[in-house]
Amino acid sequence: MTKRPRYGLYLLVIISVVISFFPIVWLILTSVKTTAGIYAWPPQYWPTPVTFENYWTIITQSPELLRYVLNSFIVGVGCTALTLVFGGLAGYALSRLNLKFAGFLMVGILAVSMFPPVSLLPSLFQNFLQLGLLNTYTGLILAHAGLFLPFTVWMLASYFATLPVEIEEAARMDGMGFLRIFLTIVLPLSWPGFVATGLIVFIFSWNEFPLALVLMTQNAMRTAPVGISLYPGEYAFPWETISTATVIAIIPILIITAIFQKQIVGGLTAGAGK
Amino acid sequence: MAIVSLQQIGKNYGSVTAVHEFDLTINDGEFLVLLGPSGCGKSTTLRMIAGLESISKGTLEIGGKVMNAVDPKDRGVAMVFQNYALYPHKSVFDNMAMALKLQRVPADEIQRRVGGVADMLGLTDFLERKPAALSGGQRQRVAIGRAIVRTPEVFLFDEPLSNLDAKLRVRMRMELQQLHERLGVTSIYVTHDQVEAMTLADRIVIMDSGVVAQVGTPREVYDDPATIFVAGFIGSPAMNFINIEPAGDYGWKSKDSSFAISDLNGFDTADLTSVTLGIRPEDIEVVARDSKTGDPWCFDADIRLAELLGADALLNLSVAGEDMLVRVGGVDHPERGHQIGIRIAPARLHAFNPDTGKALPRIQKH
Repeated sequence: MTKRPRYGLYLLVIISVVISFFPIVWLILTSVKTTAGIYAWPPQYWPTPVTFENYWTIITQSPELLRYVLNSFIVGVGCTALTLVFGGLAGYALSRLNLKFAGFLMVGILAVSMFPPVSLLPSLFQNFLQLGLLNTYTGLILAHAGLFLPFTVWMLASYFATLPVEIEEAARMDGMGFLRIFLTIVLPLSWPGFVATGLIVFIFSWNEFPLALVLMTQNAMRTAPVGISLYPGEYAFPWETISTATVIAIIPILIITAIFQKQIVGGLTAGAGK
Repeated sequence: MAIVSLQQIGKNYGSVTAVHEFDLTINDGEFLVLLGPSGCGKSTTLRMIAGLESISKGTLEIGGKVMNAVDPKDRGVAMVFQNYALYPHKSVFDNMAMALKLQRVPADEIQRRVGGVADMLGLTDFLERKPAALSGGQRQRVAIGRAIVRTPEVFLFDEPLSNLDAKLRVRMRMELQQLHERLGVTSIYVTHDQVEAMTLADRIVIMDSGVVAQVGTPREVYDDPATIFVAGFIGSPAMNFINIEPAGDYGWKSKDSSFAISDLNGFDTADLTSVTLGIRPEDIEVVARDSKTGDPWCFDADIRLAELLGADALLNLSVAGEDMLVRVGGVDHPERGHQIGIRIAPARLHAFNPDTGKALPRIQKH
């Protein structure tokens, strides 16, 4: 049987790529327009003239953006590290140690993760205020870690479940304890799962808005999405500044994703079959 | 080397019983094979001996010591898994050396012992490779080597050859046999392949739904199967079974066809109202059609299908309306559609109580 070209499939792919990339492309195009170009009517589809003045303005005149990006980066890395350590240990325990209520716990973890983060805000704010965790990296890292830990546990537990259990049994016969098996056998074998999960958590944390908005009230501690969204002035809406800042803020994510893209796809589909 | 003693060992998963009271003593240096279909409890039994599965009831002794609650590594057992279970990220040498490293054996002794075993198994040139760079047979040799290096008192094999292709399986089977002769370590081997069981075992334990159906040498389980299950499981193609009942003066007659035999005197049929007759395909011979006169063990048969296997041929017969499979020589075997005469060897006949499945005792040899 010869394979005939699947035009329908390509058409669908092209449509979905156009739809999902349009906002990003528009954002990038806007960031290289002049102010006049942005408000021109009919709209400029291709910026004339192309200018990088907005980037120059942002970098020289609003140093806080770099601070926002740095904050996001610190929180993202801290939150990712914390969730991977605890999510890895919990996921391994739940998928392998034959715990009595493992199934119940897994469903429970999923259930609590369904609360909208906004509903946590009042009590979280109160507690953080008393503990002195407002406007600290520790505070937002803990909050984000708590928010994304259920996802991490589920991702990693299902990744561990795909590893052949006999390897761990052989390690037990060889004389290893559970922690040593986890560290020397399971971790090296499941790093694609860790990379994929870690990246997704990092992106979640990078993009997370409500907690970052409420728990980081000082301008110097704001994360990128919060900081950028608070750019609008009282009377004007500075589209060129916002789109330029957003492009700068997504660049780190784009770079990281491009590097680890293979692991993300591999990790997400690991359970799907050989 | 050690005696392994299983005393009324059982395994429950909640309300499901995987293994009922398993009672057996495995002799020092014996090669014992646990044989049965999937789900019969053979792997569970092996895993209880290994310590990978907890023992619900009963006592496990290895070398005279109770091992029920002892950690797998301290039981003096080494296990070879079906899918090799090598550490994919470690070299062949590290795979084989892992247990010794964990026991803090000095590095030069590890070097010497792993080197010796690698030499014995022909793995010396592959010690630096990762398992992914080895063939299936080499991987299984590494898994066996990993077990040997530890100089265990008992070897446990969990279907170690089922992942290999047919040709390699035969070769590895012979290598295992030679290895056992050379090392003489008590071995317990789980398989669903009766050829492996027959060729490797000193004794075979045949299991059915968590119960031991029979324990015996390969000869015993083939010649004198204790139950219908064993009779049907051992031997390929499987034994022919015919249900017969007493028919007054005619002797015994099939319920569903006109097949009848005049004499079942060889067995203690007591006052059974029904008996299951068992005849192996290799215990029936083709005879001239007119030789039946006077011989109660001769029958007329129609050949419905003839399959040439090479050395042998299988004839699918209808004998007085009863289906029967016969194994004959492959040279000039009778063809489909022909009518032939057959003779059943009365001394090789089996009879079972259909209600209990147990073999009926013989009262005299023909």
